[in-house]
Amino acid sequence: MGDKPADKKDVWQGTLALMVLKTLQSMGPLHGYGIARRIEQTSGDLLLVNYGTLYPALLKLEQEGYISSEWGFSDNNRKAKYYKLTRAGRKQLNKEEREWEQTTAILARFLAPGEERS
Amino acid sequence: MRRLRAWFSRLGAVFGRPRRERELSAEMESHLQLHIEDNLRAGMSPAGARREALMKLGGVEQTKENYRERRGLPIFETMWQDFRYGLRMLWKNSGFTATAILTLALGIGGNTAVFSVMNSVLLRNLPLPHPEQLMYLRLPNNQPSGASNTGDGDTSFSEPVFEQLRKERAAFSDLMAYVPLSIGKVAVRIGEDPEEAEGDMLSGNFFSGLGTAFARGRGFTIEDETGHAPLAVLSYAYWTGRFARNPSVLGQTIYVKGLPFTIIGVTTQGFYGVEPGASTDFWIPLQNRPELNAWGTPASGSTLYGSPTWWCLRLIGRLAPNVTPAQALATLDPGFQHAALIGLGTPDPKSRKNILALAPAKGIQGLREQYDQPIKILMAMVGLVLVIACANVAMLLVARNSARQREFSMRVALGAGPGRLLRQLLAESLLLVTSGAALGWLIAISASRALAAWSDLEVPFSLDANVLLFTLGISFACAVVFGVAPLRGAVNVPAGTVVKTSNAAAQRSKKSTWAGKVVVVVQMALCLILLVGAGLLVRSLRNYETLPLGLRTDGLLVFGTSPLTTHSDEEKARFYQNLLERLRAVPGVESATLMGNRLGSGWSDNNVFAIDGMLPTGSFDQIGVRSNDVGPNYFHTLGIPIMQGRDILDSDSHTAPKVVVVNETFVKRLLPKGDPLGHMIGGTKPEQMYAIVGVAADSKYTSVDEKPRSMAYIPFSQKRAVSDMQVELHTSGIPEALIPSVRAVLHDLDPNLPMQKPMTQRAQFDESFSQARLFARLSMFFGLIAALLVATGLYGTLAYRVSRRTPEIGVRMALGAQRSEVLWMVLRESLLISAVGLVVGVPLAIAGAQLMRSMLFGVMPGDSLSYVGGLLGVTLVALIASVIPARRAASVDPIVALRYE
Repeated sequence: MGDKPADKKDVWQGTLALMVLKTLQSMGPLHGYGIARRIEQTSGDLLLVNYGTLYPALLKLEQEGYISSEWGFSDNNRKAKYYKLTRAGRKQLNKEEREWEQTTAILARFLAPGEERS
Repeated sequence: MRRLRAWFSRLGAVFGRPRRERELSAEMESHLQLHIEDNLRAGMSPAGARREALMKLGGVEQTKENYRERRGLPIFETMWQDFRYGLRMLWKNSGFTATAILTLALGIGGNTAVFSVMNSVLLRNLPLPHPEQLMYLRLPNNQPSGASNTGDGDTSFSEPVFEQLRKERAAFSDLMAYVPLSIGKVAVRIGEDPEEAEGDMLSGNFFSGLGTAFARGRGFTIEDETGHAPLAVLSYAYWTGRFARNPSVLGQTIYVKGLPFTIIGVTTQGFYGVEPGASTDFWIPLQNRPELNAWGTPASGSTLYGSPTWWCLRLIGRLAPNVTPAQALATLDPGFQHAALIGLGTPDPKSRKNILALAPAKGIQGLREQYDQPIKILMAMVGLVLVIACANVAMLLVARNSARQREFSMRVALGAGPGRLLRQLLAESLLLVTSGAALGWLIAISASRALAAWSDLEVPFSLDANVLLFTLGISFACAVVFGVAPLRGAVNVPAGTVVKTSNAAAQRSKKSTWAGKVVVVVQMALCLILLVGAGLLVRSLRNYETLPLGLRTDGLLVFGTSPLTTHSDEEKARFYQNLLERLRAVPGVESATLMGNRLGSGWSDNNVFAIDGMLPTGSFDQIGVRSNDVGPNYFHTLGIPIMQGRDILDSDSHTAPKVVVVNETFVKRLLPKGDPLGHMIGGTKPEQMYAIVGVAADSKYTSVDEKPRSMAYIPFSQKRAVSDMQVELHTSGIPEALIPSVRAVLHDLDPNLPMQKPMTQRAQFDESFSQARLFARLSMFFGLIAALLVATGLYGTLAYRVSRRTPEIGVRMALGAQRSEVLWMVLRESLLISAVGLVVGVPLAIAGAQLMRSMLFGVMPGDSLSYVGGLLGVTLVALIASVIPARRAASVDPIVALRYE
């Protein structure tokens, strides 16, 4: 598709959780708004995170025990709920990363310019 | 695994909602603030920064709702909501709620109570391990001819039979014998004062074979049986009642008929022995002393434990593992046939065959047969009450739901689906049933206690798991019957209609009033069945109460006593003669006499008497003679008229010529020709013959409902063996007032002498129809409840109809209808419904009455008075229930009614 920066992509179903986990791994404890911004930034502002869907996703991860939360204060001293990765979350992240790499590798093979059939 | 964890976490989130809501709001707020600050830093205007932040979030409320859906379990939350809403609605309509719950509680409670009786009497197993293996041994054909028998013909076995059968380990892993020490209670003494208790003698393996557990001490061993050890085991109930659960009871001495026994154990709680409806207080090993002869029978040559031809032992066996009753019988029969004839010589080949049978130890033996049908009928009656109650509640709900149509339609308009609405109503029904069942359980606890007391059954009526299951079952049935059925109409509400029309009359469909009428018709029919049944039973009871007994009913006191230290018959006869003389001297006693079998207690002696040395021929009904051993002045004391000859006198002693008094039926059946006086009756040998010296009028012996039988009254002192006697005193004062002075006389003779079961003779006869009394009372009670429920049901239906028709009535009155016409309009409707109900009900009642035939006494199932009474009762109920709505309709003010429209 086009490569105009204005043409932003919605986050694919199911990948948001992976992005959240990865973000928390690289950034350490972070609040919801920070996670959303970080995902957008990492994608080079190509991804459009619907902030409203982020919170249920965070809740789901927390219910599953991959992340935990506690109240803290932001840099400019604002009260915010901070999320951080748990040990189970780290394991899950590794697993999902591997699966993702496999999936993308397979897809890449399909999409690569095919060899001529003989 | 993760999913389960998430599920639990969500389940947890169903609770503590307010705190979570606060946190969610705070998080949203902090998110917005962080975003706005960022935007401001990027140079947006404050308003723009806020707008952009809100837009990116996609709306605070939507986000929160999405979040909530993920946070808890929505289905539980709506359920919780439904229940809270249902509670509020029920609370608001407290009148409706109270009526519905009370109605359900009466239905469920009544059913539970009657079922608990049925459970104890018919269904429950003995509280022992593997109760299904336990079998009572039976003799459907009674004892072999020539054998003597004490106890019931189909349950008494001889010692050789017991010894033979207990050897057959392939059939029974254990065969236990037990036999009461007396027909009623036996004299015991623990401290100084004599008292009475129920005691059984047992084979040594009784407790071990049954698997009885012990609260204290131990049971008996086979050595205790063979050595006739002086040891005793108490029941938990007796230990509790008599010893206040004193642990030091072990080792104490209990004197049974004056003989010392050492207490070595206490059985576990809930064990009452294996006997029909009795609650045994203590047990001792089988004894061979004449004083402790089985059944309290006077010991003579052929009736003493060990005598091969005396059949007195009751047997219960535990089937060997994986053996069926049929297999066990096949194994046992050859040995039984052989042992049954021991001591009887060569059997007459024509005599009836001896048959051994097994009966599962379930429910209460004896009572089971006696109560089987009546209890089922009671169960059916109380079931009808429940049906009527459920119908009432269903109608109440229908009426209420149609009154709530506007609410439903509003909710549909606001977006509630039919499923949501149905769930809401189901939640309310469930709340009603749950409360009704809980209250019903409480009612059942006291009701089953009352039943136990009324029924004179010495049965522990406990509400056990069976009963609980039953209650839950019928409650669930109730919820389905009345909870779901009436909801269909309520749920199919078009959103628009009701909101638009404010008039309640808009929701009047022909179909729903039709259904309501059908329900009332069915209720009326059921009510008629109950009232007719109650009428029949009450008339039966009345017959029991008023039937002439043929003897004095007032001023008679009866009690039992037996000498403890006498051994020979002469001594015993002297003891009673002496006792009589002393009692006659007691102030207030006008006359005194004795009898072997207490009148009205159900016990009797039955034999075939030879007339002048010749045995009569014919069926037992025709030639059989009932007899009783009686004391002097028997007929004078009991007020039985002597038609010919004389009473039994003091002079008819042990040494005097043997005499007998017979009744008129005896003369009619066996000596129809000539003067009966002077004929010799009894055995075929001269020393067994008694000369007839008097003819007495017929009178009741065993119970009120017995038919006239040939009867012989034999002086107790002239019998070969003197049995334990009952004393009868006649006074012109209050019979019970004699008790203290009688006790003093007994104590004076021997401090160990007990006064057994003192009561008025009338009360003793009343006991003989306690079952009829119980059923009459209960059926009356059920009939009343049914009438009450039908009345409220009909009232509700009519009142509802009237309120719905108020505008119509207004129009009619505005057009000139008279109040009396309006009154009649409503009454006519109710009378029509009742008439249909009665027409449907009469054939059903006739069918029901046929089923009750065995419970009736002196009344035919087609007894017209009962039907007229039932019909009048239902009509009266219908009239009373319709008067108030009819008058309300007649008092409608046309102006108000029309403005209402």
